[in-house]
Amino acid sequence: MTVTFNEADLVAVSVGGVIAHPGFPGLPAEPYRLAADGTPFLLPAWGGIVYNVSIGDKAFGWAADCIHPGVSIRGTDDGRNRGLNVFSCLGNTATVMTGQAQGAKGVVTGKSGRFSEQVIIHFPKEIRKKMAVGDQIIVKSYGTGIVIDGHENIACKGLSPDLLKVLPNKTEDGILKFGTVATVPAFLVGAGAGLTSEGGSLHMQSTDRAALAEAGLDQLKLGDVVAIENTDSRYNHGYLRGAMSIGVVGQTDGPRSGYGPGMTVIMTAPKGELGTYRDAAANIASLLKLEA
Amino acid sequence: MSAELGGLTSNAESLVAMAVCGYVSSPSLRPGHYTHHPDGKGVILPGMFGVTYNASVGDRAFGWAGDHVEPGVSIAHPDEKSDMALHYLSCLGNEATVMSGLAKGAKGTVTGEHARLLVAFPDEVNELLNIGDQIQIEAVGRGIALNEFPRIEFKKTSPKLLASLGLTRAGNGALKLPVAIELPIEIMGSGAELNSEYVDQDLMSGDRALMADLGIDQMRLGDIIAIRHADHHFGRSYREGAVSIAICIHGDSIMTGHGPGIMTLMTCHEGGIEFEVDPSANIANYFRIGAGK
Repeated sequence: MTVTFNEADLVAVSVGGVIAHPGFPGLPAEPYRLAADGTPFLLPAWGGIVYNVSIGDKAFGWAADCIHPGVSIRGTDDGRNRGLNVFSCLGNTATVMTGQAQGAKGVVTGKSGRFSEQVIIHFPKEIRKKMAVGDQIIVKSYGTGIVIDGHENIACKGLSPDLLKVLPNKTEDGILKFGTVATVPAFLVGAGAGLTSEGGSLHMQSTDRAALAEAGLDQLKLGDVVAIENTDSRYNHGYLRGAMSIGVVGQTDGPRSGYGPGMTVIMTAPKGELGTYRDAAANIASLLKLEA
Repeated sequence: MSAELGGLTSNAESLVAMAVCGYVSSPSLRPGHYTHHPDGKGVILPGMFGVTYNASVGDRAFGWAGDHVEPGVSIAHPDEKSDMALHYLSCLGNEATVMSGLAKGAKGTVTGEHARLLVAFPDEVNELLNIGDQIQIEAVGRGIALNEFPRIEFKKTSPKLLASLGLTRAGNGALKLPVAIELPIEIMGSGAELNSEYVDQDLMSGDRALMADLGIDQMRLGDIIAIRHADHHFGRSYREGAVSIAICIHGDSIMTGHGPGIMTLMTCHEGGIEFEVDPSANIANYFRIGAGK
């Protein structure tokens, strides 16, 4: 069914950044990070232009640590980066302003949080080949302030009108429910708990693979819409029985403790005002008809 | 070693003691920086930094008109690398000495590690401390281990604390100790993004009814805490069967995803640690400091 909301009142504003470069600490630091079992590893991680991982691909199984699919951008200083991270909404259009891909269009698919703080943008693979680190990208940010008619207790964050309009949903007993691929149990909430919910991401725990499989999370794909049980994300992410958050898987799994796939939370309500139902096809790559 | 270790032996004689230092901190705020309740209501509350005159280890962790209340004296080093050494080398129970100012020579005890290191001094010493006074710590405890339990990893545990925890060998061969409160894994929150050698992880106290139901709202600063299915070896993972032992180092918070701070002391995979609940399991009692004097 169609969800109606205050679209006519929303303000569209430019936010921008440049394509980020992957980073490692300088010498004499070791290049290794530690896996949850203490094993040192050296693998590709977040940032940059990723040529062969896209939204819609598997979230697990890459030889990598929390990879951002597609292209990652950052603001040129912390204040601007915060504006970029908070106001960018999943589903917003991004435009390449400089370089050989100038004029190409992309779509915001995720945001990453503390220690990374980048906005993740999908561009078709052919476009990525023309892009350079440092290229400027503008996001037409549009969606902050969304209020769904008749469901004012659902707080929306980083959610564009374009995405809200295509999210599978139904209303039962007055509760607005959205289709989700799986539900993350509260005990598998990891990094991001207690941190801001206005931007950034909330990671699931993936060290205990059996627990992950039992919860039906081990086959998730990038872009899958997922529910997070007993989690209140109105002002930071935190535990609250009866609360529910809905997020989109934005970055891949990694070997570190607390850093399974990251989810960009787009909706939350504290007391059962937000519902979910299972829809195995709820993935933003298909919902937004993203071009491979 | 001694009977204090319940017949167990440690490598305490192999540990190296070295000096690290910090300076009494001063509260700092950003303009317009409200802290928000879960419903969004913004407030400004004291609790972090400085000398906290009226909250000590052994006092309640909940119910203060404060946020993240750091008991006693909060110290830091202005140079980042030196500050990290203060963080990574200091252990709970280490002796601290005031090196400058009116309280020069006074002795205290390290009681935890938040964004600043936390030290307990007697009240009369707190009255004499100035912002910037140098506090030196005889840091010893990194690398500590029990010879009989090589698979149990200790963090920030001084020989003094190790001898105070009431460690015994359980009938099934596991290491056993008293803890004041057991926490369910699903309420472990802010700090999940950090490595587990640095500071603490807050329990998430936002579900107030749950705090009361489980008696968590009776927690005291300095309480020894147990968490099942928490693997704190290298970060903080959910791992079925693991047990971590920790200590409450700071007070409750109104912020979503925050609450009293829980600093890791011991962690083990399946079957290595057992515990029994004893409300007196608190370092104020063990060290006869703060409210336990």
